Amino acid sequence: MTFAAPAQPSALAAKGPAARVRGRLRGRIIIGVLPIATAAGVLIVWEAIVRGLKISPVILPSPSQVYQKVITVLPLLVDNSVQTGGEAVLGLVLAAAVGIALGSALAYSKYFRAAVYPNLVFFQLIPKVALAPLFVIWLGIGIESRLTFTIFITFFPIAISTAVGLASIDPIYVRFSRGLTATDWQTFKHIRVPFALPAIFAGLKIGVTMAFIGVIVAEFITSQSGLGYLILFAMARTETAVVLGSIAFLCVIGIGVYGAVALLEVMIRRVWGAPYDAG
Amino acid sequence: MMVAGLEPATGGSIVIDGSPVSRPRCDVGIVYQEPVLLPWKTVLQNVLFPIQIQKLSKANHLDKARTLLGSVGLGRFLDKKPHELSGGMRQRVAICRALINDPAVLLMDEPFSALDTITREQMTVLLMTLWEQVRKSALFVTHSIREAVYLSDRVLVMGKHPSTVFWTERIPFPRPRPLSIEETAEFNAICSTLRLKIDEALGASVTPHAEEHRSACAAMRLEA
Repeated sequence: MTFAAPAQPSALAAKGPAARVRGRLRGRIIIGVLPIATAAGVLIVWEAIVRGLKISPVILPSPSQVYQKVITVLPLLVDNSVQTGGEAVLGLVLAAAVGIALGSALAYSKYFRAAVYPNLVFFQLIPKVALAPLFVIWLGIGIESRLTFTIFITFFPIAISTAVGLASIDPIYVRFSRGLTATDWQTFKHIRVPFALPAIFAGLKIGVTMAFIGVIVAEFITSQSGLGYLILFAMARTETAVVLGSIAFLCVIGIGVYGAVALLEVMIRRVWGAPYDAG
Repeated sequence: MMVAGLEPATGGSIVIDGSPVSRPRCDVGIVYQEPVLLPWKTVLQNVLFPIQIQKLSKANHLDKARTLLGSVGLGRFLDKKPHELSGGMRQRVAICRALINDPAVLLMDEPFSALDTITREQMTVLLMTLWEQVRKSALFVTHSIREAVYLSDRVLVMGKHPSTVFWTERIPFPRPRPLSIEETAEFNAICSTLRLKIDEALGASVTPHAEEHRSACAAMRLEA
């Protein structure tokens, strides 16, 4: 990577708008390239260390060894990724429904909040991984127990963000809305929800991470397939490259789902701001 | 806020056009201290928001919204978002929004108090011009005596704790009123009288809070 010499920015400023646009574009490209360059650098260092110290591939395979292994077991990885990704997305969607509904109820009913909220926080203090075996006892080793566990671990941040987002609205807006003879539902739809959207989506983004944790832990415990199962299976056979490959696939799916949530946020916010159509 | 039906009356009764006010009603337009615009909506959408809430036809009010915004000098800003406007411009949008569904009464709760002095004076003149076009009864709460005298037909001085009407002053100037009436001796004489009455009102009140603010309430009661 080469960086612009210190003298360059002032020279650009003197050259007028076209040069400035080009300068800004280059700035943006550099910002886009830097993280990739950093990641590439880490992989190169990793490769060099493994080769230089002749580390056994069972302990730590080099990136190139992982890549070769991934190529040979690609169909296996893809199949298991589809299952894990699908379950994580399904779990996230269901957790979002539960979380947003619960968060709305928490924000709206004083008594419901008093009855439920302290218990919810207390409940949240239990390391939920410790509860995973219970779900196996109750729901067996199928998708039901994995999904339930995923929802269970994911809904909490979504519920809290929703409740906080709905409740933290400036009261003047509620008063304004009532002054217009708006019903509670209209105030909810046109005022509270749009104001709460950033908080709700912040919760959903945390939820993405939680959903993947939930699915992987559930697969560790119950599954006969999925990336979580594949990791355990490969570990038992000391196929460390497959473990790392599975993790790489997990990262890619995770980024994809996170990106989808971010995109959904942009779309929903745009629709809310669209001409003559606010809800 | 009681007049708007947002809070129950503490005593007596509030009547608009012969019907008592017990909850918010469609025929009242309110301008608050803050503009209270929805940040994700454009200027035009904000002005049309009451129409949307009251489920009236937007198409029928579109021209009215454009005309109102044009008359307060915002004709070129219809598609801007509130964050792109200055404080005075936002409050002008809020005034247009309060007028969009042709309310019987306009309530203004210190609408210019968050603005700087020069903008405030411009807004006062602008409100006067706008009022000449729409001619609504308006209740205008302010802490500025000059603003009250310039705008109103009738100024009511309110006491603090209890907030009762302490004094009523009729303002004799004919309309339309040029800003130059503020220079006349009569204008200043009325202002002095009101200042005295406000001091009396504060002196008469029994709570220690009274000294914290000089409270003047002006009501424009304007029969169209």
